[in-house]
Amino acid sequence: MSAVDPITLSVVRGVLETTQREMTLALEKTARSSVFNLAHDYSNALFNHVPEMIMQGQDIPIHLGSLIPAMKCVAGYFGDDIHPGDVILHNDPAYMGSHMIDTCMYKPVFYKDELVFWTVCKGHLTDIGGPVPAGYNPDATEIYAEGLRIPPVKIYDKGVRRYDVVNLLLTNLRARRDQEGDLNAQLGAVQVGERNLIALLDKYGLDQVRACIDELMNMADRQMRKLIATVPDGTYVGKSMVEDAGHGFGDLEITATVTVTGDSCDVKIDSPPQIPYFINSYEGNSYSGVYLGIMMFAQVPPPYNEGLYRCVTVDMGPKGTLCNAQEPAPHMNCTTTPMETLTDAVRLAFEAAAPDKVSAGWGHANGCNIAGWDTRHDEEYVSMILASIISGAGATPTQDGWHACGPECCFGALTSGDIELLEYSYPIVIHQYSLMTDSGGAGKYRGGSGTCWEVEPLDKPMDFITFGEGRHNPASGAAGAFSRMVEPKVGRIEISRGGKVETIKDNVIEVINPGERAANKNPGGGGYGDPYERSVDAVIWDVRNGLVSIEGAERDYGVIFTDPAKLVVDMAATTALRGAAVAAE
Amino acid sequence: MRTKYRLGVDAGGTFTDFVLADRDGTVRLFKALSTPHDPTEAISNGLKQISEAVGETAEAIISQCDLCINGTTVGLNALIQHKGAKTGLICTKGHEDSIEIRLGHKEDGYRYDADYPPARMLVPRYLRRGVRERVVSDGSVMTPLNEQDVRDACALFLAEGVETVAISFVWSVLHQDHERRAAEIVREMMPDTLLTVGSELYPQIREYTRTSTAITNAYLGPTLKQYVGGIDDYFRDLGAKYPVRYFQSNGGLAIGQAMSDRSVYAINSGPASAPQAGLYVCSPFGHDNVITVDMGGTSFDITLTSGGNTNINKDIDFLRYRIGVPMIQVETLGAGGGSIGWIDDLGLLQVGPQSAGSDPGPACYGNGGDQPTVTDANLVLGYVNPDALLGGRMKLDREKSFTAVKEKIADPLGISVERAAHGMFTIVNNNMVNGIRRVSVERGYDPRDFVLVAAGGAGSAHITALAKEMGIDTVLVPKLASGLCAFGQIISDVKYNYMATCPLRLEGDAAYAQINDTYAEIEETGVRHLLADGFENDRILIRRRIDMRYVGQVHECSVDIENFTIDASTVDRLRDAFHARHEQLYTYSEKQTPIEVVNLESTLYGRVDRPALPRLAAGEDVSGAIKSHRPMIFSPDGSAIDGPVYDGSKLGMGAVVDGPAVIEEITTTIVIEPGWRASLHESGSYILKRND
Repeated sequence: MSAVDPITLSVVRGVLETTQREMTLALEKTARSSVFNLAHDYSNALFNHVPEMIMQGQDIPIHLGSLIPAMKCVAGYFGDDIHPGDVILHNDPAYMGSHMIDTCMYKPVFYKDELVFWTVCKGHLTDIGGPVPAGYNPDATEIYAEGLRIPPVKIYDKGVRRYDVVNLLLTNLRARRDQEGDLNAQLGAVQVGERNLIALLDKYGLDQVRACIDELMNMADRQMRKLIATVPDGTYVGKSMVEDAGHGFGDLEITATVTVTGDSCDVKIDSPPQIPYFINSYEGNSYSGVYLGIMMFAQVPPPYNEGLYRCVTVDMGPKGTLCNAQEPAPHMNCTTTPMETLTDAVRLAFEAAAPDKVSAGWGHANGCNIAGWDTRHDEEYVSMILASIISGAGATPTQDGWHACGPECCFGALTSGDIELLEYSYPIVIHQYSLMTDSGGAGKYRGGSGTCWEVEPLDKPMDFITFGEGRHNPASGAAGAFSRMVEPKVGRIEISRGGKVETIKDNVIEVINPGERAANKNPGGGGYGDPYERSVDAVIWDVRNGLVSIEGAERDYGVIFTDPAKLVVDMAATTALRGAAVAAE
Repeated sequence: MRTKYRLGVDAGGTFTDFVLADRDGTVRLFKALSTPHDPTEAISNGLKQISEAVGETAEAIISQCDLCINGTTVGLNALIQHKGAKTGLICTKGHEDSIEIRLGHKEDGYRYDADYPPARMLVPRYLRRGVRERVVSDGSVMTPLNEQDVRDACALFLAEGVETVAISFVWSVLHQDHERRAAEIVREMMPDTLLTVGSELYPQIREYTRTSTAITNAYLGPTLKQYVGGIDDYFRDLGAKYPVRYFQSNGGLAIGQAMSDRSVYAINSGPASAPQAGLYVCSPFGHDNVITVDMGGTSFDITLTSGGNTNINKDIDFLRYRIGVPMIQVETLGAGGGSIGWIDDLGLLQVGPQSAGSDPGPACYGNGGDQPTVTDANLVLGYVNPDALLGGRMKLDREKSFTAVKEKIADPLGISVERAAHGMFTIVNNNMVNGIRRVSVERGYDPRDFVLVAAGGAGSAHITALAKEMGIDTVLVPKLASGLCAFGQIISDVKYNYMATCPLRLEGDAAYAQINDTYAEIEETGVRHLLADGFENDRILIRRRIDMRYVGQVHECSVDIENFTIDASTVDRLRDAFHARHEQLYTYSEKQTPIEVVNLESTLYGRVDRPALPRLAAGEDVSGAIKSHRPMIFSPDGSAIDGPVYDGSKLGMGAVVDGPAVIEEITTTIVIEPGWRASLHESGSYILKRND
């Protein structure tokens, strides 16, 4: 520390954060796909020459964990064959990618002929080829049926664009113009990163910048070690269940075993054998789940970089299992399922280790992709709709969960996109985008409300392709929270056609016609503490604002109204009902 | 200046500042305690002082002013304290929750913070009423407006005592009829209620931004209307020849009606003038990299100007509310002279964000406050003279400060009062340093490349400590520091932003004509407003900005353009400007891809003459300005040294004072820490440099 000037350290840290933010802006402001430009489903990171992640930003947790092994894998693949002006593209989970539709661009940054940094931009494209638009194919039994695999490949070689390679890639993707625009946007992002880093080096010199970056990594390391040292040594186990979303293999249990020794910990994952359904997670993606589970426990402030995980060792279990899949396992859904369940298992193990730091679970992803023909411009459209997966956050020991902040795998980093901009981008009408009554998990502190996103296509039929789960088990409560009224708290899909509403809890491909509607109803977050301890005033306020129904107030919170219209509570009956529960215990 | 005087009145949370400029360049500063219950009381108190100083009656002064300008934090305070009016929202059914969903996002920096609360809603869910109506993305009507739904919403609002209403429908920006008809119904059923119509206030695409901006506007409207009404009447009664001008967060002036109709422009009224003033006082030194820090009684405001350009933001989260309209970027913290020191649950000393305000104010004011504030700590530390505040008009009770710091901080922590006071000073400084880092370091600016300009009554006591912490070695403290924002306001122009949405591809004569006509239309409105304000045509300046993007993109890129007729022969100037800006920001352009236009904006300025900078005469030997010595504490252990106290009014051009020392100006006290040297420049600013 003594070698590093504290002001320079702050400046370097600030420039790294700013660089990461400016890469983010460059991507978001120029991209064509709504997944990038509205939904923030991308992540940018900076690596040093090693390559270690020196700046992880505040982007999507599911991307960032997997970037750590992926960057190493990609750099290792090319070895000495890395030159100024190269740009590498990659998406393949067999090379530590997350899921194939998250396509990642890596730019080596050279300074005075020396490889000093990597700027990296990973983003969810709207399509990656294969039989089903937008990549999520619930019928795939092998990875080969899920789209185009891109092992590490150079799209720029010593500054020269490889038009043939780029053409090969784009030829395999739907909505080519958008995909090409998005590749340009990613390229802009990694170039903005390069520009800023070189300016930083010009100003402070490589030695000083490196010393500062080392110190930033040490700070993160010290922070995490200090926290883990407060956890008593021992072995802690967390278990969580992946729901059967229509595949017929039943519920699948994931176990995380955390062993704390001094200021370090080991995380061991056990999961059942992989299945021929798109919820297998390859090793890179599983790192994201483990790291997010740790961060949900640690909740440390920035800086965020690879130093955080120096004290963590991870064993994903044997190859060929759900959380350590291998070819030919299909995997496209893996960033939400089983990733969120894996995260829950790790988080629950840490809860067992440090009960006072417990927070409730967040709603899982239950989303959709859409595709069809846009008659306004006479072209096809295809996209994941992130606005369709916004669930509720878990309650904490101090407050209600945030409404509309999930799903767990994104942890508030997504933005759902302005509905006018979505309707501008696609030929759709969004009839509803709202919070849902009784969806937040009951507790002394209530879980956040999930959302309903209801859509109708204009002019032409629309493919509506669903993914995820969270449609049977509500988000896990904490510290004794539980909901008696479960149904409104879990996710589901509702299709309205011909005056009837059909509820779907599996992953399906539906065709929605103009005049029909499809709604994604997303789970709320888990509650914290005994719901009968929630203040009556808080329950009345929730009822007044339509977040809890009269029935929900009684069933979930034991609050009985004598006059529902005027919201007058029968205090005697309420006290009796709540007291009877205590007496029964 | 057309007449003898110009008056600036900046009403802050604790003090109201008055700046009176003469035609000959003399600028005088006065201060009175703010009176939030009736702001005109403070103005009247201030005018009494001015009248005594210049020897004319308030009526004579006001009637000889070309402009009376008012900056106010009344909107900001209402938003911070959630004391706006009870507001109802009428919106498209199914979209009642967009302001609570907030795009499903949790702010960066709080991702893993379990205790960070959600934003507090300005309109609770039960007062957000959806009505059946729907316009789609091509501007056509899918569902006509259900007028009964609007009436039902009004009936509920009437029953609930709603004072102000916002209307915001999806795609209203392409089809205003539904909002207009709903507005007619609201006016009919609720004739006394203030009304904000989304597509009129912010005629640009983005439903969430528009709704949130409209709600914020509605929420603040009644507060601003009442405020502006009181001030307008007051000055009219004093014989003002011209309407009072109010300072807006866009960095320009506006008349009162504009402030109550578009109160969202008033949010950051006061602090937004700091960059203007900072650049002006730095101009004799040739600096155009300026960070201004304004520390008043309740808040600490930071602005950054790099290369003479101050950042303007639009479509940003301000105090966690999405605001679409353009604003000068100001970072605000709850750290001021009135910020209260307290001990948290973990037994750690904290300062702010709670403030004692002006009533009761710091303990030393003797108005019944018993909480130790930063001002109390500064008094204990010997930085502030108990007898010299406001030129001696306001006495401070050091005993009360001592007692408050002792009882609330020193005794619970088991340390000396002096150490406790220095701890409060250090912690509030640390809070402020973090704020300065957010606008500089975190945005890629090295603070060491900037001059720090102190503003606000309390700022000068902290300025060398802050500079030291930031590694900044040049600090500027104008004698007018404590009224710098008021000064910035009297050198500002009248400024209105006019926006229009104009979605079209930049192809063909019809498109060029439409852009041209739309600019002409909004500018004609603007010119009409300014002519009515009394500006001649040669005093009106128009600046254009156009938002464009490549077809397929959804976010726009703003480009400043000259005023010229847009047609086939000139349109390449737009295209070139866009490609160049895209390349500058994002490293590449796509010259083959068609471009589309989204929004147009014209900023209209009514140019106002600026008063000249003052010129100080050379003074006597500085030792003659020493009026006393007193114990001052600069050490964390609380030990004191005996430092000289200078009377600033006796220092002339070229005076040099080495720290440790205190210079007492009438409205501010400059603390010069050991290792710093202050020199007084003829323009009336102290320039402080590190000499260690």
